[in-house]
Formats: sequence, structure tokens, C-alpha cells
Amino acid sequence: MMSKLNYLIGVSLKRKIKTKWFVAANILLALVIIGVSNIDSIISFFGGDFNKKQLIYVVDNTEQSFDLFKDQLNLVEENFKQTEDSSYEIKLYDKDVENAKKLIEEDKKTWIVVFNKDPETTISATVISEGYIDAIEYQLVSSAINNTKVALATMNSDLPLEEVAKLYSPITIAREYLDEDKLSEEESMGAIMSAVFPIIILPFFMLVIFLVQMIGAEVNDEKSTRGMEIIISNVSPETHFFAKIIAGNLFVLMQGGLLLLFGGMGLLVRKLLGGNSIIQGFGDDFGSFITKVLDNGLSGQLVYIIPLTIILMILTFISYSLLAGVLASMTTNTEDFQQLQTPIMLILLLGYYLSIFASLLKGATFIKVASFVPLISAILSPSLLVLGQIGIIEVIISILINIAFNWLLIKYGLKIYKIGILNYSSKGLWKKMFKALKTNS
Amino acid sequence: MLKVSNISKSYGEFLALDNLSFTVKPGEIFGLLGVNGAGKTTAFRIIMGLLDADQGEVTLNGKKIDYSVTDRIGFLTEERSLLTKLTVKEQCLFYGTLKGMSKEKIISRMDELLERFQVPEYRERKIKELSKGNQQKIQFITAILNEPELLILDEPFAGLDPINVELFRKEIIKMAENGSMIIFSTHRMEHVELFCKKIVVLLRGESVLEGYLSDIKEKYRKKNIFVKGDINTENIKKIDGVLGVIEKSDEFEIKINDSEVVTKVFAEIKKSKDIAKFIVEEPSLNEIFVSKVGETYDE
Repeated sequence: MMSKLNYLIGVSLKRKIKTKWFVAANILLALVIIGVSNIDSIISFFGGDFNKKQLIYVVDNTEQSFDLFKDQLNLVEENFKQTEDSSYEIKLYDKDVENAKKLIEEDKKTWIVVFNKDPETTISATVISEGYIDAIEYQLVSSAINNTKVALATMNSDLPLEEVAKLYSPITIAREYLDEDKLSEEESMGAIMSAVFPIIILPFFMLVIFLVQMIGAEVNDEKSTRGMEIIISNVSPETHFFAKIIAGNLFVLMQGGLLLLFGGMGLLVRKLLGGNSIIQGFGDDFGSFITKVLDNGLSGQLVYIIPLTIILMILTFISYSLLAGVLASMTTNTEDFQQLQTPIMLILLLGYYLSIFASLLKGATFIKVASFVPLISAILSPSLLVLGQIGIIEVIISILINIAFNWLLIKYGLKIYKIGILNYSSKGLWKKMFKALKTNS
Repeated sequence: MLKVSNISKSYGEFLALDNLSFTVKPGEIFGLLGVNGAGKTTAFRIIMGLLDADQGEVTLNGKKIDYSVTDRIGFLTEERSLLTKLTVKEQCLFYGTLKGMSKEKIISRMDELLERFQVPEYRERKIKELSKGNQQKIQFITAILNEPELLILDEPFAGLDPINVELFRKEIIKMAENGSMIIFSTHRMEHVELFCKKIVVLLRGESVLEGYLSDIKEKYRKKNIFVKGDINTENIKKIDGVLGVIEKSDEFEIKINDSEVVTKVFAEIKKSKDIAKFIVEEPSLNEIFVSKVGETYDE
């Protein structure tokens, strides 16, 4: 029977891999992943005003603000974007505001900042533009204006220059944790991971959907053609069930490997292209994540995070495939199965959203409890682990719960599968299934 | 020998099979007959182990049928059970391997059968591209690929033209001559008469007629007389025991309820001139089937 099991696994895998659609889909996936990883290079290849700086004319009626504003804007931008290359071109305009507005008519992207003296608040400022200004850009400009006011007030307070320099020097902040196991590197990792993890688990999400649909379609194909009767008259339902589950899981693991390979290829191409990002922040999440991991010596942490995540993911793949197999056996055609798989997808989606909410709602008991729930623990547990909300023990408990859940799915699911695969009528379906659950075989 | 002993099966309140028993010896061709829903497919599924009987048992050569003996059984289902996305060769390899055959053996046997069924050109064609009749041929080929000891055929002639029925018939008879046990179901009684020595007629899961075909016909007292000539049908209809006279294109068919009525009919016909034909025939199986099933339905 073992050779028939191996044969069925082989046939099932071959049917999925040896199709022109599998090859075509993977070529397309590789192109998309490599393309998305290098989207900035692709965009710059087709040209555009990427290096054009934002022109800001300053009408300085205070006669003291221009230089200070220019310095402050550069400083604020450097702190925010972590780059010394300024994206602003700041010019002093020595005519009045009405004339300055004509500059906007000539170039609608131009902004004007007008500084006026104000007896109560030292200075007041007006920002003039053709239309809306990007919220972040406006935040930077308004911070620079406020800092200009403080700097101006400080200068006018007759403080010695050394004191003014001290005032503006950055403060060194030391961190101290009463819990000796805590590291500041871990803290920054948590922040990075909360942004990066949803991106990492997206392929997992995709593979689960793939797995569920694939097993459902295959079982229904054999059922609807009545080939199932010939198959089951030669191999036991158990052998058939496990063949489908093993083949499905091997396939998604292989597909997952291919996705990783395509991702690696994308990064390699990015490196070869020099990785010049024209879009601020693009690719920085993953790039800075890798850099931080290596620079901060956090690879030690990943030594247990990655294997635990992989174990949880494999167990969850198995859970979903078992569930898909059992549900597919109950349905009589692919359309029915598609309806039945919707709740499965919603459970998966719930896990995904909870993992995103986990960083926003720190310490939420509901999310912590949900991290133990099979089907979503593969997404939630690792997220909470990297955020420092749960420890390794909790993840190990999730793994054990997953193993127990899979065992129950096999024990009771097989009873339903045995009856379901040879059932061609939806009449009294649930009654038949509950009756099957009560059988001893 | 296949031995089916007192098997019964219910689906809730519905009794699908009621105490069915029969045996099929090596070389025998056995007909399981009945209208739709009579319980034929349920019986086949129980024999194949796809369904558990509520009671009774099925043995092949004294051994309960399980996965240790299914490699020696061939099964053709009523509906097409082919995976239509596969090619003929892939399908044969798939089912053949599940029967425990080696790849080389499957290929050589498949080529031999494709040739015999006059479809060698379909070897690499996808099943879905074939006509219904040709799909049925491929299904039959996959069922006999393993030269089964027991062959179960559920409506094997569905969708076949007379030429292909003849191809199937020759193959089935050849297999029986080689010692295979063959059970098949059909609605077409002329097919049963072509092959079967033994039959069971099922009605609502219950056996209403069983035994050797020759014995059944012998015991069936109603006969048919075929007469060609100028006869007085009204006088014949008045004879006690005559069930009816049917006028056909160039002859008359007189239905009688007992062979003893033949002499009375003959005496009346002798009075007529120009009698070119007078033949007494056994009833067809179709008549027996309709009378058995019909009578019971009428009750």
C-alpha cells in the first residue's frame, strides 16, 4: 500500500508541476517579484523629474529668518529622511508677497514662505502654494518654521554663542531596562518587524489559499468524473486522503521555495543595479531590516524565530490541507467547494489583520489568546514573538496545540472523508457527516 | 468463485438491497438485471467494498473482498469514471498502477487492447477529446487491463453502436473462456441473451427471478406462436388460453399462456388455407423481465 501511496503522491505532484500553466505562472511570478523589488530602477529607467528639488522662495520681512529657516529645514529633513541630500531648493526673494505669488503662476509647484515680525510671538509665517501640500512635507516645513522662531528668540536673548551651540547640540539618551533580558536592539527590531512582518507573511497567506483551492479542485475533479470509485476500489480512502495532503503540502513548500528564490533574485538584481532608490523609503523597510539584523547582531534571535515560524507554518499548511480535503469530500462539485472555502479564507484573513493590529494594540488579551488558535497561530504567534508580547514558551504551546488539532482533524476528518468521497448527493449531507463521525472505523 | 450471501443495505428508511444471494463460478457470465433504482449499483459497490452491507457477506474464492484482492478485480462503473484531463496512456498507467501492474506490462497490454478495439491512434489523445463511444471503449480497456479474475460491468454497452457492442461481446466471451468471472448489468435484454447463462432480476432491492436462463425460459409457461397465412383471428382470440393476437406486417403473433394451448390453436389454424408458417417460440427475456417486473409493479 505504501508504494500506491507514493505513486498517488507522485501522480498528484506531477499533475500540478508538469503543466505549462505552472511554468508560465512561475515565470510571471518571478518577473513580478523581481520587478517589484526593483520598481524604483524601472521607474527611473523610463525617465522623469526625479532629481528636481522642491523650490521654496522665502520672503523674509524679519531680515533674520531666511538663513535660520534654511538650516532648520535641512536639519529637520536630514533627521526625518536620514539623508544629507536635501530635496529642497530654498531661495531668498527680495520683493513683496504679491510679486512672489507671480512666481507660482510661472511654476505651479513652487511654494512661498513669508516671515513677518510679530510682537507677541516673535515671528509669524505664511506658506503659499498653488494647491494642497503633501502632509509630511508640510509637517517638515512647519517644524522648520517653529525651530526658526526658537532659534531667533534664543539669538535675541543675548545668550553667549557657546550656550546657543549647547542648546542645539543633540542629547545623548541612555536606555536602562530593569529586565536584564531586554535589549534596545530588540526594541528597535520590534518596531521594524511590526512593519516588515505583514510583508513576509503575505506569501504564506497566498500559499494557503493556493493549497486549499488545489486540494478542493483535485478531489472534486475525481469525484465529478466518478474516477473516485475506481481509485477507492483499489486504494483505501486513508491512502487517497494522505496522498492528497502530502502532495498538496509538498507542492506549496516547493512553491514557497520558488517564491523565496524569486525574492532573492530580486534583491540580487537590486544589488547589481546599485540599489539607488529614487523613491524615498522604498525598499528601505526590508533593506534596513536586514542591515539592522546584521549590524545589531540580532541574527542570534532569528536562529529560533525562523525555525519556530517555519514549524508553525508547516503545521498550519497541514491543518488547512486536511480541512480542505475533508470539506472537498463533502461537496459534489467545485462550485459548492468554492462556497464552502469562503469561511476558511475569512479565518485566515482574521489572523492576518490581527497580526497587523498586534503592534497597534499592544498587550491585547484577545490577540494573545488568538495566537494559540490553530489556523491563525502561524501568523499571530511569530508576530507577537518579535514584538516581545509573548515568549518562546507560548510559541511552543501554539505548536503543540497545532499538532493536537491536526491529529483531531485526521481522526475525525478521515471518518467524514471515507463517506464523503463516495457521496454524490447534497441531500441530507450534514446528517450523513454527523453519522460518519459517530462510526467507530 | 464469487459468493454473495444474503446481503442487505438500507439508506435510512429506503431498502436498497434485501437479502440478495448469488454465486458466479469461473467462466460464468452473470447478469444482474433490474430497472433504474433496483439496487444493481448498490450491489456492485458492496461487492467492490466501496459500501459496507448492513448484513451478509461477499467472498472471492472464499476470502472476504478487501484491498489485498482488488488487484484481481476489474470494475467498469455506469457513469464514465475517466479522468478526462489525462491522455489515454496516462489514464491506463494511472489505473493500471493502482492495480499493482508494472509500467511495462501496462503499456504492452494497453497497446494490445487499443489495437483490438481498433483505436490505437487515441493512445496519446486526451480523454475529453474522444467521443462518448470511444470513451466507453477506453473505460472498458482500463477495466480489463489487469486481466481480472472477476470483472464487474455496470451498464457496459451504454452509448455503444452495434459494431462496438459486438467488439465488447467478443472480448467478454473470450475472458469468460479464459476463466474470468463476469457480472454485468444492463437494461438491454437482448444483450443478456447474448452472453449470460445465469441471471438475477432485482426489483426494489429484492430478487424476483433468479437462476439459469434456460431454466427460467423453460419454466416460463407463456409462449408465442408465429403464423403466416390467411387465418381467422376472431376465432383464435376466442380459444381459452390465448392472451392476444398481434397483426404484424406479413404475419401474426399469437400469445398463449401455456404450451398446452398450442394444439388448440393449431387445430383452428388448420382450417385456414395458404398457411406458410407456424412456429412456436420461447418468450424473449425481455418479455419475461417485463412480465415479472410489470406484474409486481401492477400489484
